[in-house]
Amino acid sequence: MKEIIVGVSGINAVDNPGPGIGVARSLKEDKGLDVRIVGLAYDAMEPGIYMDWLIDKSFIMPYPSAGHDAYISRLLYIKESYGLDFVLPTLDAELPLYIKYAPELERNGIKTFLPTLEQFKLRSKDRLEEVAREIGMKFPKTRVVSSYQQLRDAVEEIGLPVMVKGIFYGAEKAYTVQEAIAHFNKIASQWGFPIIVQEMVSGEEVNVVGAGDGEGGHLGLFAIKKLWITSLGKIWTGVSIKNDALLEFADKFVSTYRWRGGFELECIAKDDEIYLIEINPRFPAWVYFATGSGLNIPANVLRRALEMDYEVKDYEAGRLYVRYTYELVTDMEKLHYMTTKGEA
Amino acid sequence: MKVKRLAISEDGFIFDPTTGNSFTTNETGLFILQLLKEGKSPEEIVRELVNQYDVDEQEAERDVLDFMEKLRRYKLL
Repeated sequence: MKEIIVGVSGINAVDNPGPGIGVARSLKEDKGLDVRIVGLAYDAMEPGIYMDWLIDKSFIMPYPSAGHDAYISRLLYIKESYGLDFVLPTLDAELPLYIKYAPELERNGIKTFLPTLEQFKLRSKDRLEEVAREIGMKFPKTRVVSSYQQLRDAVEEIGLPVMVKGIFYGAEKAYTVQEAIAHFNKIASQWGFPIIVQEMVSGEEVNVVGAGDGEGGHLGLFAIKKLWITSLGKIWTGVSIKNDALLEFADKFVSTYRWRGGFELECIAKDDEIYLIEINPRFPAWVYFATGSGLNIPANVLRRALEMDYEVKDYEAGRLYVRYTYELVTDMEKLHYMTTKGEA
Repeated sequence: MKVKRLAISEDGFIFDPTTGNSFTTNETGLFILQLLKEGKSPEEIVRELVNQYDVDEQEAERDVLDFMEKLRRYKLL
């Protein structure tokens, strides 16, 4: 079996975890693959660096904002010094750069399997209504605002309470106009304009992780309900579900947009209607839930990208997902080399 | 009928695979739920309750209707 060296980012397994560890664990658990994982870290303290049973070697990366030269040359250095056949980026902020320079990486022997820039842009919250309409889902009333007056008008039109959101990040509940203004200021100062004002839909929060093959077919779809979340809104306990309508919407999302790579749909089920709340153009941090239930979606992405056989397996509803905290104790060597040499 | 999709364990743990919600019920609730799942009508369930338990028809009917109302509230019926 030929060894495949895969770069995975988002190995920050902290209280707001990146998806990298779940992805790395999934790839390692595919017995038909011989995978060596390269952790692409942004800080020497990212726990994945020290999880040597999953991450074989780690490198500190420049931030994507450093631009093409710094970032791509770092990847090419990894390719040359250690080997790198495939990169599976898992963080939103990295994706535009990887998407843009995927052909250059491919020419240098580093494959990716990512959405196109057009597909990536669908995650923008001001495109939510368009996507939901196209695939037949319900959506919360949404207005895009950039001034206090527009904010007041939107709140009046939608009715309180509302969600105030940044176009890509940040979401706060507002029960009064004053609260909406405070959130507007906070999100604008942190993430910039425009701001999204959205109807608050109450119901069951249900999510789907999946991946598309880029030609309209899917590489696995897996639905869950979050049973318990942290104060940061991150899943801690969940259960797998078989909601046919939800899975059909996810399938339609993949086929309509010919989605390529991993994704997550965040939805709310209210009575018999399903509202689309958010599209994430990458795997969620809980992606291992699908793998642990028998459907290894990250491995299917890798297999599809490398033109290997893959199988979209079925899964059972009622599988329980439980996160837990655990500790490891190691010596300073890795921290030492990550800090001084940027790799270990 | 939504009740048909429910996974019901012998000790009264109920899981709805569509929503991910779970519930618990007592022995009587479990008895009624199993019969609803088999497609029995409320009248048939009342008769079975009277045969099986020390309860008169009026009380059994009230219990069945109350329980079905609860199932509706939880969107299980």
